[in-house]
Amino acid sequence: MAEQTRRRFLGRTGSLALAYALAGCGIEGTLEKAQKAATPIPEVTHKKVPLGNWTFSNWPLYIDKQVIKDFDKQFGGHVKYVEDINDNDEFYGKVRQQLQAGESIGRDIVTLTDYMCVKWVRNRYVEPLDKKNLPNVVNNLVDNLKSVPYDKEREFTVPWQSGAVGIGYNPKKTGRELNSVDDLFDPAFKGRVTMLNEAYDSAGLTLLSMGVNPTEASIDQILAAIEKIQKAADAGQFRRFTGNDYSTDLAKGNIWVAHAYSGDIVQLQSDNPDLKFIYPDEGAMLFTDNMMIPAKAEHMYAAETMMNYVYEPEVAATLAIYVNYLSPVKGVQEVVEKSDPEIANNPLIFPSDEIRAKLHPYPALSETDERTMKEAMAKVTGA
Amino acid sequence: MTTEAPPAAGQALEEEPDAPPPRGGKSRDKLRHGVLAVWSALALLYLFIPIFIIVLFSFNDNQGRFNFTWQGFTLRHWADPFADPDLARSLVNSIEIALISTAIATALGTFMAMALVRYRFRGRSGVDFFVFMPLSSPEVVLGAALLAMFLTLNVNTGFVTIVIAHVMFTVSYVVVTVKARLEGMDRHIEEAAMDLGATEWTTFRKITLPMIAPGVAAAAMLAAAISFDDYVITSFNAGQTQTFPLFIFGATRQGVPAEVNVLATMLLIVVLLLMGLNVLIQKRLAARDAARTA
Amino acid sequence: MSLHRRRQLLPWLFIGPGLLWLLIFFLYPLLNQASVSLMTGNPEQGYDLTWAFSNYWDAISEYKEQFGRSIVYAAISTILCLIIAFPLAYYAAFHAGRFKNLILLLIILPFFMSYVLRTVAWQLILSDDGTVVSFFRSIGVLGDDGRLLASSTAVIAGITYNFLPFMALPLYVALEKIDPRLLEAATDLYASRATAFRKVTVPLALPGIFAGSLLTFIPACGDFINAALLGTPQQYMIGNVIQSKFLNILDYPQAAALSFTLMLFILIGIFLYARVLGARNLTQAAV
Repeated sequence: MAEQTRRRFLGRTGSLALAYALAGCGIEGTLEKAQKAATPIPEVTHKKVPLGNWTFSNWPLYIDKQVIKDFDKQFGGHVKYVEDINDNDEFYGKVRQQLQAGESIGRDIVTLTDYMCVKWVRNRYVEPLDKKNLPNVVNNLVDNLKSVPYDKEREFTVPWQSGAVGIGYNPKKTGRELNSVDDLFDPAFKGRVTMLNEAYDSAGLTLLSMGVNPTEASIDQILAAIEKIQKAADAGQFRRFTGNDYSTDLAKGNIWVAHAYSGDIVQLQSDNPDLKFIYPDEGAMLFTDNMMIPAKAEHMYAAETMMNYVYEPEVAATLAIYVNYLSPVKGVQEVVEKSDPEIANNPLIFPSDEIRAKLHPYPALSETDERTMKEAMAKVTGA
Repeated sequence: MTTEAPPAAGQALEEEPDAPPPRGGKSRDKLRHGVLAVWSALALLYLFIPIFIIVLFSFNDNQGRFNFTWQGFTLRHWADPFADPDLARSLVNSIEIALISTAIATALGTFMAMALVRYRFRGRSGVDFFVFMPLSSPEVVLGAALLAMFLTLNVNTGFVTIVIAHVMFTVSYVVVTVKARLEGMDRHIEEAAMDLGATEWTTFRKITLPMIAPGVAAAAMLAAAISFDDYVITSFNAGQTQTFPLFIFGATRQGVPAEVNVLATMLLIVVLLLMGLNVLIQKRLAARDAARTA
Repeated sequence: MSLHRRRQLLPWLFIGPGLLWLLIFFLYPLLNQASVSLMTGNPEQGYDLTWAFSNYWDAISEYKEQFGRSIVYAAISTILCLIIAFPLAYYAAFHAGRFKNLILLLIILPFFMSYVLRTVAWQLILSDDGTVVSFFRSIGVLGDDGRLLASSTAVIAGITYNFLPFMALPLYVALEKIDPRLLEAATDLYASRATAFRKVTVPLALPGIFAGSLLTFIPACGDFINAALLGTPQQYMIGNVIQSKFLNILDYPQAAALSFTLMLFILIGIFLYARVLGARNLTQAAV
């Protein structure tokens, strides 16, 4: 008899579990939300309140921790600085469910890359900013970042750091100087080139070689660019498609030319002084990591105070010296000049205005187009 | 053939039984022993080659943020390895999580293994098979599904959910490893003990447990290692808690600081020291037992 | 309670906590994913349960290459692990004396040194201009332009390296319980050492071989990180596809369908393997 009860118990629990699982089925879409959100943005006011305990999520090693200590000292409260963003897609995967359900994700600032910000802004996963609390941002944001296709008035996003996606190479191995995007496709370097596996980066740069402005490219043009990459990949042009991990290969000479981030080459030059980074003649992609306040965050005034704080040229200079990427704040170069002239004069960290004009932000694609692009790229990279 | 007195339950089983007598001469046996020893040394060397590099590069005087090329010897990374409080915190978290989840998983898994090997009951093969399933599921799907469940139940992700997740996927490893120990194990000693009046619990405690101890210890080590090094499932269920692998993965974008190498080396040294201590204690105990029975 | 009743309930008492843990934290999420695998839709319009078994068919037909590759890589790695680990486990079990535990510890110690650091270390060691590659070039194993990284060799080597402890420990566990007096008896009965090994040691170690192979092969099939860091798109495994579909393309139904298909392949494989080794191993009662 014990057997029967046990079996029945298991059977019942099993079917209950199944029913539960299936009842919870159906994953919500984002289109509805986006359509609702296309309504005009109201003016918001975030009143001044004591900062209290609030949370700032960022990528690891992306801040000089002294800045946080100074901030707490100056403004009171206590910021919990969490370095739990390792990858845009992974982070989104982690918090997606709560965002879609309209719940708070327990963070007051998140720092994500442009193409992820497009999604969050479009779906209103973020809170609008109270510009009255951000005078430094309004005044000091560099001109070429004052507007982006997905956030024309910077109502939701504040750039943290930028970087250029260009070409890193070793002139000793290539035998010549490089200056064009098509150098990545030069058969002379067959098997010695790597390309980034992120479609926004690779397709973007390739579009430049085809004479198209990536920021305004249509999905068809993007697919044509991916087609070009596919052809080259089939011919064996690329040794690998990488994330950040081209750095070992480039430093060790396994590859000669890499589709690379400016900040990485700055660091790699101490490992291998031969390495160079170029902003190709046609232009380069500009990636920006932006601070945003997630929807239903509790400490919006605190978040804005921090955003405003890091736009003071002195503070921005501290960050620039530590991070070595492109600062989005005006007037930083002069401050850095005083203490670190080498960094101030490094075109990889402080490019001239000419070059800045050639840096293109990512296009703002609809979710369908983005998926089409990513699927096409996945075919090329074999995933 | 001499008959030895049956070993005192649970105790002398830890002693090393005598090696079988040589056949074909002592030299042949020595050769065999030598070859095995060399192979083992090479295998261990192979396992440790990257470790040497990691330790070595903790002394690298790298000027940039990357740590790939030897640029000179320095001790500066060793001067203040705990300078970044988040890095230190992540290491501590990983150790704590590993210890707790290993304890739970080893307990749960050992008992499961015992039931699966020792008893016949309905549904045994089903459970046997079921235990393999967590191993076969890709981590990304498992991690995300677990997260989805936690969120639906409004559970805050963090330390506790990481432990739960780790126990979930290490239990299978424990079960399989302990089973390998239990299968084919001689039950006669246990039966003898029970014949002599020991209750099942006493038998388990004084005979079975010591006999399977090496299996349980190995399973525990495996579970601890897997838990410590896990990335994917942890990243989904960690909330705002940082663990060592999470920190390092995230740091690769900017360049993993040499302090990470330092901390890893320190961990290595601590564990080796503890183990060395263990060997010493074993030696003392064995000597004491030998003296006592003499 | 009668002794008989107690005896009946005892195994369930032992299994209970572990099983409960797995049911709640594994089976329930898994069932949830099963329902996701039968959905259709996209991130914009949401997903609905349409019992789309076609997801499975599409998954297999589109990615059969990656499925096949994963199984092959995992199998080769498992065999390599067995070859490398068996003598090591044997030595630890029979010849190491009081250093047994030390050797075990040394085997798993690399795991405490972070995956990323270990892989970068291998990338440095095996880089094209490094000593290892130069050595292989000089003895002709590699062509003049040959390389070790970004190849199937590197991926398989990476998988083997990372799963070695999973093979070694169960092997050790099974070997260590073999009473050497059995071998002594065998040789007393005029068996050669080789025969004794073949007819006594190996059968007794079989549970360990079985356990080790499974603990190596199964997770290796779903591995993605070795292929991502050490391979080219030609080496990408089904794990990479699932990773990409889930995190990057956000095609949850396909990712779930791929996962379940993988699980199915693996479970079938276990079944066949158990058959080959003698089904007793899977549901064996004590001797």
